[in-house]
Order: sequence, then structure tokens, then C-alpha cells
Amino acid sequence: MSQLHLSDEILMAFADGELDERTAAAIAKAMAEDPAVAKRVMDFQQSRRLTRSAFSAAPMPEVPPRMLAAVLDRVKAYEATDRTSASSSVVAPNRGWFRRKTPVVQMALAASIAAVALALGYFAGSQERTGAGGLMAQLGSPTVHGALSGIPSGQDVELPFGRLRVISTYRRADRGLCREFRLHSSSEAVAAVACRNGEWNATFAVASAADDTYAPSGGDDLMATYLQSINAGAPLIGEAESRALAETNR
Amino acid sequence: MPAAIGQELVALLPRLRRFAFVLCRSQPLADDLVQGACERALANADSWTPGTKFDAWMFRILRNYWIDHLRRMRTEGMAEDLSQQTQLVGDPGEGPILSRLVLSEVQRAIDNLPQEQREVLLLVCAEELSYRETAEILGVPIGTVMSRLARARKRLMETTAAA
Repeated sequence: MSQLHLSDEILMAFADGELDERTAAAIAKAMAEDPAVAKRVMDFQQSRRLTRSAFSAAPMPEVPPRMLAAVLDRVKAYEATDRTSASSSVVAPNRGWFRRKTPVVQMALAASIAAVALALGYFAGSQERTGAGGLMAQLGSPTVHGALSGIPSGQDVELPFGRLRVISTYRRADRGLCREFRLHSSSEAVAAVACRNGEWNATFAVASAADDTYAPSGGDDLMATYLQSINAGAPLIGEAESRALAETNR
Repeated sequence: MPAAIGQELVALLPRLRRFAFVLCRSQPLADDLVQGACERALANADSWTPGTKFDAWMFRILRNYWIDHLRRMRTEGMAEDLSQQTQLVGDPGEGPILSRLVLSEVQRAIDNLPQEQREVLLLVCAEELSYRETAEILGVPIGTVMSRLARARKRLMETTAAA
């Protein structure tokens, strides 16, 4: 951790509780060793308190009755419309808002945490760069499914659209088998989890541009949080993994 | 769940007005923005995923509405002309340690920040949204949110005696 750069941004993220545990521990150590660092962190805490107080000291004025009436009117009109026939009038999501239409995203949304991952700015950015789908669109492909049933953890396989590496294999509390893996191409990278229920389904995915530079609490934290949220437990290794994989090929 | 959206929307109005004001600094314009954003939200209600944060979704719609408005008006400078409208009288119940004097100093310092810094400050420090949620609302990378926020807060500490 000696190469940790104590930038304003990282110290601020510490003050705001936005860092992962490891980095936070490193910052805490740096603060203990250097009062100047501690002072910078405390300044960020102070500026947050000041800002919050300043905003809450200015009272939020009551919503003017005319405005309230207008909005309530709109709400009433909205609730009166037949939702099924109204769906055709729905405008496409804004640029940068994550895509809901692709099957990958639908699958990913099955896990509530995935919504968080997909909402990341850099995800939207990489989607724009690589055009429709990119690696995300490959998560459901038979090639990927085949690789997931075949290769042991720690191994790479070259696929037409990029390189797939299986990171680890888990058995969930409900006995379901899940695998964490990564897909890389020259321009982007996707970290994903697929779980098996008769066939492989991607349940979680975080995409980033391959050239993504500074992402302090990025994909890796999200992955760890996700694995924790599905009670993944300890990864299956060696014989245990081979037996589990053999099941999927039956 | 249409009914739920309507209720949440109405409950959120005061905070939407506050955000709109931070964006445009004019109460009449802020109210127009809020109403327009509400209409847009209702028309796109299907794109809200139940279980996700409604306020963050709504802030984003409001902000996009504001951007569209700016684009239409082609007057990026208009926000500057419409300052001096904040009523900044402290509520003694809030922040007992801070005197009114300090608070109004902070409020003035916030008012003097560029708009892009004011909005991240409000979303993170007052609305208590995460960097990630804020990045999504603004449609920028997390790194951008962090650099703007850090600059705003350093500036705040430099320009107020409370530092």
C-alpha cells in the first residue's frame, strides 16, 4: 500500500465512507502516521457537515398550491390511463441511462445489486463506445455457456469475440452453481457471474472500458459485494469443482 | 405500480424544487422545470425499476430536462444573471454548533461556486446520494463527480472562516 496516492479525491472518498475496506484501512494508517493527512480528511468531513447544515438551514418552502394542483392533475391523468395501451407512447430511455431492452440487462436485473452495477457511469460510457451490445451481449451466447461448463477456474479460453477467463466457482446455499468470470476484448472488459438453473444465466455483470483508468470503488468491489449478497461462500477448488462441473455436462 | 409513483412524486416535490433552484437560481424557472420533469417522469414511468431509488431517478430526469431547456434557449449564461434569490435565514434548530454568521458565509460560498460544483455538492452532501448515484444522475463518470466535489469542498474550506 506504499504506492497509494493520497489525492484529494481519495481522502474525500474516505471521509464520505465511499472506499472499500482495504483502501480505507490504508488511508486510516496514513492518517495515523501523518497529521497533515488527517487534517485533510477532517477538512473534507467538515465541508460535508457545513454543506449539509447550510442547505438544511435554508428552509424548503412549501410547494405552491397551484403547482401541487397541476402535478396532482397529471398524476391523476396518468393513473387513469390504461397502462397496457399507454406503453406504446413510452419514449426511449435517455442516452446514458442503462439499456433495459437487452436480454442481458433483463437477466442481470434479476439480482437487485446488478441494478447498481449497471447504473455506473463508466458502464454507460463503454456501451456508447462499443456500440450495441459489445461483450455484454455475448454473456448469453452458447460459446460462453460451453466454456462455463468446460474450463476449470484460473484457465483462459480464446473465443471469437474475446478472451474468457473463469475466476472461481461457488455453490450457493440453495445448491445452485455459480461461476465468476471475465471477458476481455481489446476495447472492453466485463466481469460477470453466471448461475446454473438447467442452463447458465448471467445474473450479474459489470462492464468497463479496457482503458478505464481511475475507478476507485469500481467493478471489483461490486463483484465482492454481489458474491456476498448471494451467499457465495468459499470457492470450490480442485476435485470439488471438477465434480460440480461434471454435473453440468450430464 | 402507477399509484406509488404518483405519491412518491408529490412527496418529492420540495426536494425537486431545491435541486432545480440549485441548477437555475430562479424560483419561477425552477418551478417550471419541476413541473416539466414531473410530466416527463409520468410519461416514462415504465422506465423506473421498482426497488431502485426513486429520488435518484427523478433527479436525473429533472436535470436532463434542465439541460434540454438550456439547449433550447441557447443561453448558457442565463444562470449567472439570476443569482441573488436564495433566502438564507438559518433555522436555529439545525446545526447548533454553527452560528448563523458561519452558515450564511457557507451559503454565500456555495452560491459562488460554478453550477457543476454546486449540483454535486447538493446531491452528495445534502441529498446524501452516493458518488455512483450522483454520477448516474449527471451522466458523467464517477471520477468526474469526485474531482468536481473535491474542488468544491476545498474551495468552501478556503473561503469560509469556519475552516
